[in-house]
Amino acid sequence: MSHSGTGPVVSFENVSKHYGSLKAVDGLSLDLRAGETVALLGPNGAGKSTSLDMLLALRKPTSGKIQMFGSDPYHAVKSGRVGAMLQSGGLMPEVTVIELVTLVTGLQPRPVPVATTMRRAGIESIADQRVDRLSGGQTQRVRFALAIVGECDLIVLDEPTTGMDVETRRRFWASMKEEVAQGKTLLFATHYLEEADETADRILVINRGRLLADGTPEDIKKRAGAKRMSFRLENVNEPFLLGLPGVTSLDVRGNVVHIQTMDSDATLYGLIDGGYRPREIEVGSLGLEQAFLAITAEDDRAGDTAGAPQEVPQS
Amino acid sequence: MRGTLLLARAEISRLRRNRRYMISTLAFPIVLYLLIGKSAKGTAFYGVEFAAYYMVAMATLGSFSGALTNNAIRIAQERKEGWVRQLRLTPLPPNAYVVAKVIAAMAITVPSVVIVLLLGRFYGGVHLGATWEWFAIAAVVWIGAMTFTALAIAIGYRLPPDQVQPVAMLLFFVFLILGGIFFPLKGFLGSIGNFTPTYEAVKIAIDVIAGAAVPAGLIAGLVIWLAIFSGLAWFSVRATAETV
Repeated sequence: MSHSGTGPVVSFENVSKHYGSLKAVDGLSLDLRAGETVALLGPNGAGKSTSLDMLLALRKPTSGKIQMFGSDPYHAVKSGRVGAMLQSGGLMPEVTVIELVTLVTGLQPRPVPVATTMRRAGIESIADQRVDRLSGGQTQRVRFALAIVGECDLIVLDEPTTGMDVETRRRFWASMKEEVAQGKTLLFATHYLEEADETADRILVINRGRLLADGTPEDIKKRAGAKRMSFRLENVNEPFLLGLPGVTSLDVRGNVVHIQTMDSDATLYGLIDGGYRPREIEVGSLGLEQAFLAITAEDDRAGDTAGAPQEVPQS
Repeated sequence: MRGTLLLARAEISRLRRNRRYMISTLAFPIVLYLLIGKSAKGTAFYGVEFAAYYMVAMATLGSFSGALTNNAIRIAQERKEGWVRQLRLTPLPPNAYVVAKVIAAMAITVPSVVIVLLLGRFYGGVHLGATWEWFAIAAVVWIGAMTFTALAIAIGYRLPPDQVQPVAMLLFFVFLILGGIFFPLKGFLGSIGNFTPTYEAVKIAIDVIAGAAVPAGLIAGLVIWLAIFSGLAWFSVRATAETV
């Protein structure tokens, strides 16, 4: 059972993948524990797909060590404990959906009944259609079906909902939650932030091949300068506002002021102590999207000036 | 092995639905034999009656075509579309895809060989000295096609799909013409052609029909081609191990 083991389901130890001078993955270390739902979040080219490829034994790390269920990735994959859906994964053409699902089910050491897989993936109605004549969303669902044809302990999905419409996407995550409810560990890469926010209980932010942040969606939002404030104010004095305690950024449009701050209380007291009387004050959390942009933008600036990769503390 | 056989079975069942495969492997040699098989009555080619020569040539055409052109194109496409990659995520052993392709190619070339030989016997009026000779020429043409299966893997793993089609067709027709499949070659081209796997398969079968001793050089030639193409296939597959 997936919960019985005490060691991590997946561990990356200082893993790097270099293509010539390009460091696609650069000293990545992380552990996944059994039963977690983890989102791997990062902009295009951040190293998400390369990391997943190495985890699934499709590519070899240049250096470092990856382990899955206490063995090397290749043997873990071949033991049937991992179900995976890759962006680059394709389907066998010229067969029907049910023939394909039946075939791949037959390759599993612990197969799930074909009818169950078809229902979970929501592809019963297209069972007899030819694989090469499906729409983009239908194809995605068939690819998802191939990831859950075996009784696996870990599911790995690379941008699973790309090309799905909103309704299909909603159904997809609903069926995904069924899988997770059975105790499976789920790791998925995405650039849809709301998916990470709603689905994951842990988010790994990566950029330029390195891990920038690791925590719950709430942690990630906090890390990026916690709060946003807005208010109306006559006779705005921008240098004064920027100098207030906690402020990280400022945006003024007419008499409406938007502030990002690490400490909204201190910022507000400072403003009032300065003799200002702001009106219509609103304080809220940053969305995950702003948090994510703030974290990666900060990293990109650091990379541009420092050149050499820096140590990033993990929360 | 069970998984590999399941995959091979799926390959075979989808090939039976593929119109392009049906035309090139089955319809093409059959129609050519029906049109031309009886046309040159009384003429001897390589020392046997034309109908017998043409039967062997068309059986070779069908089985070698089934082994090469479709396979090469499919392998390139399935690599590009990521099916090969998807299979690597299953518990199948890493060579399963290639092994299944070889098994499927061997299975799907059987019908064209059998049908053309039956046509030769009952339409072309070819008579052989003993029953085992029929099985011997079927086996030569069929097993000889493995050289082209290996070549298909070598090309399909090396080139992108849009380049595979012309390259496979070009190689195929060069080997067909030099091998004397359409008409026996003489002179300089003929002496080059004597070293092609197509010629070697046809000539071995015809020597069996003629009751002549099969030169060891012909058999060695086929084995050497198989070794060369298998070696190329091995390098191509290995070169793509990281990119699939």
